[in-house]
Amino acid sequence: MVFILFGMFGISVVLVIPTISEAQLEKKTFVTHTGGVISTTGEVIDPLYVASTMEFDPMKFLREFNYGKVSQLSDGSTLREFTIIAEDDKIMEISPGVFYNVWTFNGTVPGPTIRATEGDLVKINFINNGSKEHTMHFHGIHPAEMDGVFESVGSGGGRFTYEFEAGPVGVHPYHCHIMPLEEHIVHGLYGVFIVDPKEKRSPADEMVMVLNGFDTDFDTENNFYAANTIPFYYQHHPIQIQTNQKIRVYVVNMVEFDPINNLHLHGNLYHYYPTGTDTVPSFYTDMVTLSQTERGIMEFEYLYPGKYLFHAHKVEFSEKGWIGIFLVKDGDHQDSQNGVDYGT
Amino acid sequence: MGWIMELDNPSKGKIIASGIIPFIFLIILVAYIFGPGSDLLNLGVPLPEIIIEKIDFLESEIQVTVRNTGPIPVEVVMADVNDRIQPAAIEPDRFLERYETALVRIPFEWNEAEPYIIGLTVEDGTRFERQVEAAAPALRPNLEFVGLFALIGTYVGIIPVMIGLLWLPFIRKISKQKNHFFFALTVGLLLFLGIDSIEEAFEVVDDHLSGSFNGVLLIATTIVLSFLGLYYASEKLTGKADSLRISKPVAIGLMIAIGIGLHNFGEGLAIGAAVGLGSIAFSTFLIVGFALHNTTEGFAIAAPMSRGKTMIGKLLGLGMIAGTPAIFGAWVGGFAFSPFSSVIFLSIGAGAIFQVIVIVLKWIRDEGDKNLSSASVVSGLAIGMLVMYLTSILV
Repeated sequence: MVFILFGMFGISVVLVIPTISEAQLEKKTFVTHTGGVISTTGEVIDPLYVASTMEFDPMKFLREFNYGKVSQLSDGSTLREFTIIAEDDKIMEISPGVFYNVWTFNGTVPGPTIRATEGDLVKINFINNGSKEHTMHFHGIHPAEMDGVFESVGSGGGRFTYEFEAGPVGVHPYHCHIMPLEEHIVHGLYGVFIVDPKEKRSPADEMVMVLNGFDTDFDTENNFYAANTIPFYYQHHPIQIQTNQKIRVYVVNMVEFDPINNLHLHGNLYHYYPTGTDTVPSFYTDMVTLSQTERGIMEFEYLYPGKYLFHAHKVEFSEKGWIGIFLVKDGDHQDSQNGVDYGT
Repeated sequence: MGWIMELDNPSKGKIIASGIIPFIFLIILVAYIFGPGSDLLNLGVPLPEIIIEKIDFLESEIQVTVRNTGPIPVEVVMADVNDRIQPAAIEPDRFLERYETALVRIPFEWNEAEPYIIGLTVEDGTRFERQVEAAAPALRPNLEFVGLFALIGTYVGIIPVMIGLLWLPFIRKISKQKNHFFFALTVGLLLFLGIDSIEEAFEVVDDHLSGSFNGVLLIATTIVLSFLGLYYASEKLTGKADSLRISKPVAIGLMIAIGIGLHNFGEGLAIGAAVGLGSIAFSTFLIVGFALHNTTEGFAIAAPMSRGKTMIGKLLGLGMIAGTPAIFGAWVGGFAFSPFSSVIFLSIGAGAIFQVIVIVLKWIRDEGDKNLSSASVVSGLAIGMLVMYLTSILV
């Protein structure tokens, strides 16, 4: 009897002891993005700490505008030609270590920012190199057959030419409109279409922010949110701007599944032009709410240098990546009207 | 292979060869399937699967034990708390081969008694989660908790069993018919305990163990092995009772005590694990429930012992064998919880109980004119189950 008891005791000791003794391995100490400190012998998994080696560069996308191949038509108007290629077989690292099958216009999510002036003739040579049917559907004013809904473009090299007059003035989304629509959008087939007024907007440091998300486990809830695809990117790589410089942000909300998104700016307020269709701002605020494909233009200037957050005040989204920082540096105190010009 | 060699025409080589040849073909088959051309058999898409086995709440940190339970290696690339992405560290590294475990450490200022859902995301973006109903500080095996668990084990295991043993004089004084009633009552109690152990094992399988362990069959296999092993041992023991200078009642009592002891180890494990994982608040009410419930176990030992001479020392020894494992179980469950070993121990306990049931039934049958359908036996069994059910409601 006694030896059975001792046996039991022995087993218990053997099972419990390893949890008491701490392994004496070399430890590294890390400070994480939330300020927490980890001392570990292993690896750090932190979408912010881990240096991003992303194929997609949100910093490049931020200020990249595609004006197309420009030529003059006989009636004196401007023709802008674009070639857009759709694909749906690409696996992209959308957050450190997380790989997702993105469907792309010209290889990126979002697709290229297409920009034209009101009244220009926009001609888009669309090639579908994907394995499914795709289209390009622009928000804006155009003939029915240019709407990219009923004219599906076949897979494996199908072609279609979209031709329409750019308008109205503002910032608009474009996206694939093949059913199931949600699937085609959440995989990444969307982008921004900017129509500038003929009289031009004032010069400014201009940028595009597409608010998007990824449902990587297909449960119709987003696992990641971001401004321009990569979660936490602009927190890790702050957007550098200058004091007394007019900043103009073209914001388009492409988040699916969640009914709303929003944008809150720290230490400042912005003039907000819903859809960018009017030249007079509707609000002076630090917070706008955006529904699906709702978009607008935000204009602001910083007086004081430093780091300022911008993020979804739907905090769930910001804690899943939709957060960034403006790093404001002392400008040369020139009149802001002489700042960066906004393209041609 | 002794019996084979006794066959006529003993060509040893042929016999050995005929035994080995199927194995050789089996090896060739496996080599072929894994070898070149194996792509032909790759149908379907293997999906990653990980299971969060354990969540510990330390000071300003949540520690998560994760196991790769899927068919392919995975990378754990992200952690979240309540579906909000959190930075974390993973030890030893983020690459998990099949069945490999890793420890994910998330710096987090958690609040006691609040529920948390911990999620881990693997490289293809699939997220796995596990919920904790109420965060409680993880137990570290310091002396205080060793003592506390010993106390709980004593209340739940030793004391109730000892109290149950006090029924011995009562059982001794009653008639043979009534005696059979009480033996059958014991069987009823044990039957309930056995089923109870299996149920607990199933719970652990459901909550913590992945499908790749074949949890249900693991339980079944362990129960059968445990039953067979102990059955064989007890046949030897009761058969040799005379030469070991212990009486048959003592031998049977010992087997019952061992069976109940193994069961109580499993029970202690469950209690320790529940406290350690923060899934229950260990209330005095719960201890009272277990204590009442387990008093019946002492009775089960006392019943056969009533047939021999009263030997206080042996009786106490049997009580200790039955009761003390609850303490060891609580330690292991609280400080070194592993779902796999829990299932194993609970199943061994169940097998042990069923083995005891067979012994006692055999004994009743031998004593009671080869009859198991007398009113006293049937009613005893029924009441045993009922009593256990009613006391189990308290737990």
